[in-house]
Amino acid sequence: MLEQETNPTISKSTGLPRKRFYRARAHSNPLSDSHFPVPISPSHVDYSLHYPHFFPPADQVNCSKKIQFADIGCGFGGLLISLSTLFPEVLMIGMELRDKVTEYVKERILALRVSNPGQYQNISVVRTNSMKYIPNYFEKGQLTKMFFLFPDPHFKEKNHRRRVISPHLLDEYAYVLGVGGIIYTITDVEELGDWMRSCLENHPMFEALTKEELEADPVVKLLSSATEEGQKVARNGGQTFQAVFRRIVPTS
Amino acid sequence: MEEKQIEEKETNRNVEVAPALIAVHPNQNSVAVAIGSDLRVYDLLGDCAVSLPDDSSPPFHKDSIRAIRYGANGKLFVSAGDDKVVKIWSAESWKCISAVCSEKRVSAVAISNDGQHVCFADKFGVVWVVDLRDINGNQAVVDKKAAPLLAHYCSIITSLEFSPDGQFIISADRDFKIRVTVFPKGPLDGAHEIQSFCLGHTEFVSCLDFVCTVDYPQGYLVSGSGDSTVRLWDIISGSLLDTCEVGAKDI
Repeated sequence: MLEQETNPTISKSTGLPRKRFYRARAHSNPLSDSHFPVPISPSHVDYSLHYPHFFPPADQVNCSKKIQFADIGCGFGGLLISLSTLFPEVLMIGMELRDKVTEYVKERILALRVSNPGQYQNISVVRTNSMKYIPNYFEKGQLTKMFFLFPDPHFKEKNHRRRVISPHLLDEYAYVLGVGGIIYTITDVEELGDWMRSCLENHPMFEALTKEELEADPVVKLLSSATEEGQKVARNGGQTFQAVFRRIVPTS
Repeated sequence: MEEKQIEEKETNRNVEVAPALIAVHPNQNSVAVAIGSDLRVYDLLGDCAVSLPDDSSPPFHKDSIRAIRYGANGKLFVSAGDDKVVKIWSAESWKCISAVCSEKRVSAVAISNDGQHVCFADKFGVVWVVDLRDINGNQAVVDKKAAPLLAHYCSIITSLEFSPDGQFIISADRDFKIRVTVFPKGPLDGAHEIQSFCLGHTEFVSCLDFVCTVDYPQGYLVSGSGDSTVRLWDIISGSLLDTCEVGAKDI
């Protein structure tokens, strides 16, 4: 199908979607009741839709893989794309609230799959409100990594409860992360960095990674370099604040 | 314990009236009725109305009561609603023993089986817990502070229940979800360990209850929903055991 010739949103030369046709405001109201489909339960997530290479629609019985990495607020997909080739056998999903941005990532993944046969089959994106519907997508202890890169700081005190990392939401993230699973957060806003670190430190089901463990983890370097937001911060010579924690069994 | 809701529709006025609520004492000693902001108790054993002296401040509810229930084997009674005050009563002396201020209007209440804790949910989806362990019935009214226990992000909690063995607290919301959380020894620090989610309803969950049998004293969770089904759950795993369609059937 020669759709690309008449479709200006996809670049003729690279086959990749052009960002300027998918521009969206940086902020989206997580409190509004957006109308997108939500799976009734994790067993209702359509794996053959997201990962057709691993789950051919014809026979769904063979593959028992489950999504293990989740990029919450994946934006334009930079992190997923970097992680895809680093962990080619792991299924990953990006969650994004903004409609246009989700479409962009969908197109980007499809184009990459075409131009790199056999690759990028393990990543996908879904438009959803991860602050409300994470338990609908993932079973207890299913995830091994969760990413929160450059989340919205919600500066005003009254909007702090809209922050994606909060003491109450960490209960849900601890539920979907298996013991030993890791939560990665990074921001260029110092106050938000302090907030996220403090929420994680005070939560009984998370403990901080040691410096040695951080240095040994190849994913940590990607936090500041793999995404468009991270690259923008680096270009402007800004500082970033990371908090990387491991899910533990609470000591009662 | 039985709780029924009767809708009172005002056809001529635009003012919304809260549904009237009924709660029955577990041993059928008394019946409590809440109509708007009014709370009335009838003593079934003595066959007479009970007058409720309320020395707490502010006395009596000032706005619609949204949730009432008996708990702790009939020793305690809780009423709460739109005036953002949760009143805890002794169901034996009918004195208000504690008043707790809530930041938001209250949508659901629950009492732990041992009577040591009262939980209530506000309209923002936060469940709060109050510690009653240091209260004795002879004290003057104690104003207590509630601590946040857990939250359903930006959802209205429609029902709160303790499991029969007191190990778990179950919370249901209007976004079709039921959450089963371990109720810790020190709940004032929050209940962070989620045991399971019972997912399957396709509309708001309206009510929860437990059904205990001789073979299974821990009880099965039963839930009702706007999707016209009643469902049976195993709370340890979150598995849906059975679904009963109660919508209109074609005959």
